[in-house]
Amino acid sequence: MGLNSHPRMPRGKQVKTVTGTEIPNQKRERTQSVGLGAIVVIGAEFEGVRSSAPLGSERERPLAEPLACIDVLGRSMTERTVDRFVRAGVEVISVLVPVEMAHMVQPRSISFEDLKIQVVADVSSAVTQKLGDFSRDGVEHAFIVCASVYTETDLLDLFYFHREARQAATRALDSEGRLNLWVVDCAKAYHTDLEGLLAQAEGTAASYFIRDYVNRLTHPRDLRRLVSDALRGRCAMRPSGVELKPGIWVDEGAEIHRRARVVAPAYIGRGSKVLEDTLITRCSNIERGCYVDYGTVIEDSSILANTHVGIWLDVCHAVANGNKLLSLARNVTLEISDRSIMRTISSVREESRNNNLDFYEAQQVITELDQQEQTVEPRTSKAWQFGANLIQG
Amino acid sequence: MYSRGPVIVMELPETLNHAEGQKFVSELQPLLEVHRPRIVLDCSQIQHMDSAGIETLLYCMQEAMKRDGDLKLAAVSPASATIMELMRVDRLFEVFETADEAARSFQAVAPLDDPQSLPWYSSGFGLADLKIAS
Repeated sequence: MGLNSHPRMPRGKQVKTVTGTEIPNQKRERTQSVGLGAIVVIGAEFEGVRSSAPLGSERERPLAEPLACIDVLGRSMTERTVDRFVRAGVEVISVLVPVEMAHMVQPRSISFEDLKIQVVADVSSAVTQKLGDFSRDGVEHAFIVCASVYTETDLLDLFYFHREARQAATRALDSEGRLNLWVVDCAKAYHTDLEGLLAQAEGTAASYFIRDYVNRLTHPRDLRRLVSDALRGRCAMRPSGVELKPGIWVDEGAEIHRRARVVAPAYIGRGSKVLEDTLITRCSNIERGCYVDYGTVIEDSSILANTHVGIWLDVCHAVANGNKLLSLARNVTLEISDRSIMRTISSVREESRNNNLDFYEAQQVITELDQQEQTVEPRTSKAWQFGANLIQG
Repeated sequence: MYSRGPVIVMELPETLNHAEGQKFVSELQPLLEVHRPRIVLDCSQIQHMDSAGIETLLYCMQEAMKRDGDLKLAAVSPASATIMELMRVDRLFEVFETADEAARSFQAVAPLDDPQSLPWYSSGFGLADLKIAS
């Protein structure tokens, strides 16, 4: 399936808005082989790569990690962005992380073997340097993109547009404005001032107008919208794992109790555990390694990776990450110190083992008190089978 | 603490945890032990609240209801409201923007002169009427 040929996506005619210079209407040559590179900059707070680092305040960055590094339906946005470049035939891809954000980026957020994350002090000079390297290696053109920008546009079409326009840099835009996605001529960008070049792309040069799905992912609210759109099939993004029942996606190793209720559309991530009497509903996603305890309701919410959600809670219209809870309805972030309510967990297995131990010890006490021989049933019994779950399709 | 007619308005502390909650309850306890206590808790000062804080609120409400009274909350911050929603207690309390509004709300419904004279299920029609009607 092509990048823009998802059956559920109504595709209109690709219309280019030309700002400034008009491009002659000529047939595009797609057969010529041209070296293509890509520079992916992590850090949703960047307005552009021209200046290094106006890092967002805590208020703007409520989830601690950059949104580009957070798993969304099983894969991080950075990983998805890199994957799209790989599938578009981009030969060299570099991922740059500002040093201020290096501690927040987990190596597992990008799982491509040959790809290295480069920590840089100044993004602007690092990008210029990288473009120079590309130019020396024979890569003529390169994409520069902020990792959090999710777009389903045909990247090669963007590149051909740029080449036909015969300009040093082309910026993409959509109906809401400019996007942090450029195609640049590596040699020109290296020999001239990058800032000036990108400013030129905004000013006199032609811009590439995207009519396909776009999500800038600058706020957790965008994350919720992306999850909802993906689960409802409004965009081409698909959750990882298998679709057990229509609209219910479950990733490898996830365990859902037969008395848990999962209402479509929903996503349960890799190795997560959903206990009995829980309700997962309204486009909620439980990411990798989460533990949702007894009787809790997750409604229209995202539970990010390795989060323990305690017993008998109501998580509605929120994004939870470890002990942080962002209420989208009230636009307030809570840091919960009570570990019984919410916390970060290292692994679900450890969590389960602790619970099983408690269960086993309780059984032992009862046995000793009653002086009866009782067999202790292990918790990992038939209860954790997918087929018997109360899942509504 | 101040009163508006029969209604007592009390300000909750900045931190509502186990220790502060105990202290607060000990102050409030005499006021809860009257017939039909009408309490408004002003939450405007709360900066931190944990599950013990929620427990304190529930205890106070329970004590007030035991004596045919009520407890209402005022000026609940978005953070406190989120915690209450998370722990499923938000629906148990009447919440008002200001303490004055909460106090006025007690007077909005005139109390019955003798609430014990009528059973709670008596509202004009009884079960017998329903049977006849069907």
